Amino acid sequence: MKIILKGRKVIGGVAEGEAVVTKEPVSFLGGVNPDKGIVVERGHELEGKSITGKIFVFPHGKGSTAGPYIIYAMAKRKTAPAAMINVEAEPIIAVGAAMGNIPLVDRLDKNPLEAIATGDWVRVDGDRGVVEIIKKEDG
Amino acid sequence: MNLTDREKRMLDGAFGTGPQSAMRLLATLGEIYGAERMIPVSSCHVGGRSYLISGEENIEWMTDLLNGGARFQVFTSTNPCSADSERWKEMGLPEELVVKQRRADEPYLKMGAVPLGSCLPYQLGNVPLPGTHFAWGGSAGATFVNSVLAARGNREGSPSVIAAAIAGVTPEYGLHLKENRYGKVLVDLSGLDHSSLCLSDYSAIGSYVGRTLLDKTPVVVGLPQTVSQDQIRFLISPMPTAGAISLCHIVGITPEAPTVEAALGGKKPADKISVGLREMQSSFEKLTTTRQEDVDLVCFGCPHCSIPQIRQIASLLEGRKVHANTRLWVATSGHLKVMAQLMGYVEIIEKAGGLVLTDLCVAPGAPFHLVPGVKTVAINSARGAYFIPGACNLDVIFGDTEDCIAAAITGRFRRSR
Repeated sequence: MKIILKGRKVIGGVAEGEAVVTKEPVSFLGGVNPDKGIVVERGHELEGKSITGKIFVFPHGKGSTAGPYIIYAMAKRKTAPAAMINVEAEPIIAVGAAMGNIPLVDRLDKNPLEAIATGDWVRVDGDRGVVEIIKKEDG
Repeated sequence: MNLTDREKRMLDGAFGTGPQSAMRLLATLGEIYGAERMIPVSSCHVGGRSYLISGEENIEWMTDLLNGGARFQVFTSTNPCSADSERWKEMGLPEELVVKQRRADEPYLKMGAVPLGSCLPYQLGNVPLPGTHFAWGGSAGATFVNSVLAARGNREGSPSVIAAAIAGVTPEYGLHLKENRYGKVLVDLSGLDHSSLCLSDYSAIGSYVGRTLLDKTPVVVGLPQTVSQDQIRFLISPMPTAGAISLCHIVGITPEAPTVEAALGGKKPADKISVGLREMQSSFEKLTTTRQEDVDLVCFGCPHCSIPQIRQIASLLEGRKVHANTRLWVATSGHLKVMAQLMGYVEIIEKAGGLVLTDLCVAPGAPFHLVPGVKTVAINSARGAYFIPGACNLDVIFGDTEDCIAAAITGRFRRSR
């Protein structure tokens, strides 16, 4: 089964990969290790999980305005997500995605935190603001 | 968003990958905030150059921009950083930090930044013209320009300021638009005896206003006609840290606020608060994180010390000695230190055992935690006291200038009132 969602382009580019989904906001500065691409925030539901090469789905960013530097560093070190999907993008994530050239879409016509599950195969077309989801159980 | 032909060509890479990255970042911000167009900026001031804040990632990004052909197109000055590069040894800092900071500064200088190294750029030649737009990092400076100098800008993180300096434009949103600049809450200071207040008191008041109003623009009444630039600076500089305020109307001083009605845009205030002694005093308590009296380091300079402040510190220290277990740092700009030297203040302060330091940030980018033996810092501003515990993981005491000087001399902090 293929689900297609439409939303807003924030940063263009096309990427696909396995989804990692969290309902909790994400702080890249202090919350993600840029060398390893792993979430390190204590008590975060993704603590210890890798986001490298994944389609990273989360509600929005939080924390320091220095967060964009971390996203940028991950892009340089090839530990960044392949693309990001937010419920509502805010400047920290958006500026980081712009600096690291990572496709980012938000404001989808369905809540991505419910429509997408960790393990689904997702294709993000940042230029058109379109997200295609192939549910995991369909294999 | 409507982009001009020049902006579109920059976005398409016609001017190189550096300007292209800058324009992509600005266009992204513009989309998120719903800006309709870009507007030219007349002045930029970059924060975030401190190696302790932005580290290797910023060096990589700035180097990529530089190699991609980016240069600053508008007057761009720099905020202070983590060390005085001449006096790191006396400060007790590792040389490694200074070496890394020099490397971090290289791309800024190559792109054409003027190394003021201060958060008082408006005292040092970076003065946005009235009616123009600016892009400044360092929220104390941005708030001062919005509130006093009649130019318009938002409080920004450093990547978007660097992008604006390269592209020469910024998206028109937030405080660039007149309709977002009107005051919302009336703040009455007329109940205070202003002749008895010191600089630190104004910063305590500003901190109370920030944490009470959060992001609502204040309209301040009740300041005396004799109010000084330093007093205004101390009043408004904690507002962006205690709250998210980047514009404070001071009726009779802010160019957009000749009257209360003009400041409010003809509307009724959403709320009205009065600040008295109790509210003011609450900031000193709230921002002090320890009950210990021992103080390892006393510092002045968040924001950077002006000449009148350096004069006061010198007069309080004249003929006295800083305690053997306590350090005293006075942070200012290179320009103002030269003036203070000519006026004899630097000699008085350093003879007493203090250091007058330049290019050093004593709050968000401060290196206190790298100085051996420093566990508790005393500072005379609410803005500094807000940053130090989080940035350096140390205890902080927020006291007035006289009590801080007494602490430097005795090694122990005691509130005199």
